[in-house]
Amino acid sequence: MTNYITSYCHILSNECWINGKKIALQNSDDDITKQLYNYLEMDYPKFFKMDRLSKTAFLGVELIKNNNLALLNYQDDEVGLLFSNPISSAETDLNFKKSYQDGGMPSPASFVYTLPNILLGEIAIRNKWYGESVFTVSENFDAAYFLSYCNILLNKYQEAVLCGWINNKNGNNETFLFLVEKEDLNQLNLQLSLEQLNELFRKK
Amino acid sequence: MKTFIGAENIISPLGITAEENFNSVKKNRSGIKQFKKIGFGKEDLYLSKINEENPENFFYYLLSQCLQSIIKEAKSGIIEANDTIVIISTTKADILENLSSPMIEPVHQLIKDFKLKHTPIVISNACISGVLAMNVANDFIQSTAYKNAFVIGADIVSDFVLYGFQSLYAISDEPCKPFDKNKKGITLGEGAGGVLMSSDSTVFNAPFFEFVEGTSANDANHISGPSRTGEGLFRTVTKTLKLAGIDKENIDFISAHGTATIFNDEMESIAFDRLGMNNIPLNSLKGYFGHTLGASGLIETAICIQSLRTNLLIKSTGFNEIGTSKELNLLTQNLETEVQTILKTASGFGGCNASLIIRKL
Repeated sequence: MTNYITSYCHILSNECWINGKKIALQNSDDDITKQLYNYLEMDYPKFFKMDRLSKTAFLGVELIKNNNLALLNYQDDEVGLLFSNPISSAETDLNFKKSYQDGGMPSPASFVYTLPNILLGEIAIRNKWYGESVFTVSENFDAAYFLSYCNILLNKYQEAVLCGWINNKNGNNETFLFLVEKEDLNQLNLQLSLEQLNELFRKK
Repeated sequence: MKTFIGAENIISPLGITAEENFNSVKKNRSGIKQFKKIGFGKEDLYLSKINEENPENFFYYLLSQCLQSIIKEAKSGIIEANDTIVIISTTKADILENLSSPMIEPVHQLIKDFKLKHTPIVISNACISGVLAMNVANDFIQSTAYKNAFVIGADIVSDFVLYGFQSLYAISDEPCKPFDKNKKGITLGEGAGGVLMSSDSTVFNAPFFEFVEGTSANDANHISGPSRTGEGLFRTVTKTLKLAGIDKENIDFISAHGTATIFNDEMESIAFDRLGMNNIPLNSLKGYFGHTLGASGLIETAICIQSLRTNLLIKSTGFNEIGTSKELNLLTQNLETEVQTILKTASGFGGCNASLIIRKL
């Protein structure tokens, strides 16, 4: 069985690349998530309630969709989601803890983002996708996990799998998303393999 | 090729083995008790908590003790084998001692202490983490990527999680009453649960069972409220039954999620009604263990395995009168009956739902 990486994107702290090509963002001091939201000309008020982890994953999927409109043709349960990061929801966890320390009240709006898999829900809600979805926490980008579980899902349940690694440690942003499909619909000529994933992960 | 499951373990206030825990719940003993002035507003609240004061490194202690107990029930040496993976299920991991990176240290420690060949996979998928971890284990075993999977889950009670659920008005001021008319919300719990899964039946010291199939589905509806139509739960159960090739008539028992919040329990009743499965005997074990979050799927599946071993289904404690809009067949007494096939379900924040089926061989 051969599966193909049909789109990929990198989101860094101040720049973004899709299929190896840099996106022309307006130079701005805004957070990259805000720059991308503007670039995509989005109108999605729920976005502003999200934490940074969810925002980043959400925008990555929007960029890949933009570049791969065929993704919208799948049935609502045919797209799987595999996302991963090294610190779980720690960034929001610290904010939530701050909300109730020093005399404050625990913030419910912050508490609901103290689980990393919330981003899978945000993506599912936006796209009305009901497929398999798994969030894992790993120290580094685990190409072997993505490779095997992508192949398993495509073999067993799904027609396409969207994968994402979001390294948001220490306030950084190092995000790598890729779409895997059974046919090389975008003709990038990238067969899904360990070497290919590691190479795409490293290069922008 | 089949996936087998067994060597189950539970660590909770009710005991440190699955059998001890099963013997307690069978006598209708609960781990839930009152703690004074623990809430955000210094309320007296109920918890299922193992110690009054946590020992140091308590999360890792739970995780490693659970793994150690499963290893004792397995063929010697397989934990160190090259075709073995450890899968960890947790929502908050070591939240008390390492809020900024709660999961990586325990993983390093496990690799070192148990001489693991592969880095464990950590699944953090809210309250479906435990069921999902077993589903992922089954998928890896069926793909032949690994032969054996030790699946362990743990979560500990913390002010963080308690205050969070209080901020959502989701904490009960009495022991939780899943599916009951007078339910008032969640009681939090802590503990660990685990199983061994393998394509090789010779790795189990005691009798083992078949893990038939497991799937997940998102509600695609709301991040902190369950779907009003039970869409994700409906879809995952439908998919699991289909892939398993099992008719719903052949499900003898459902181990439901049943957190005792109004919205969750109502959603489950709607999903089981849509599935035509609301006549099947069903329970929630949250009245015994509280909601143990990332451990719950594993603890509850371990109890299901004990039910398969003993042909005894456990009553849904805290339940008296149905409090959902759709009827459910909640067990109000323990039931001695031939149990062949069990469906386990879970639902959680992020709109996630998962289900799995285990049965006797």
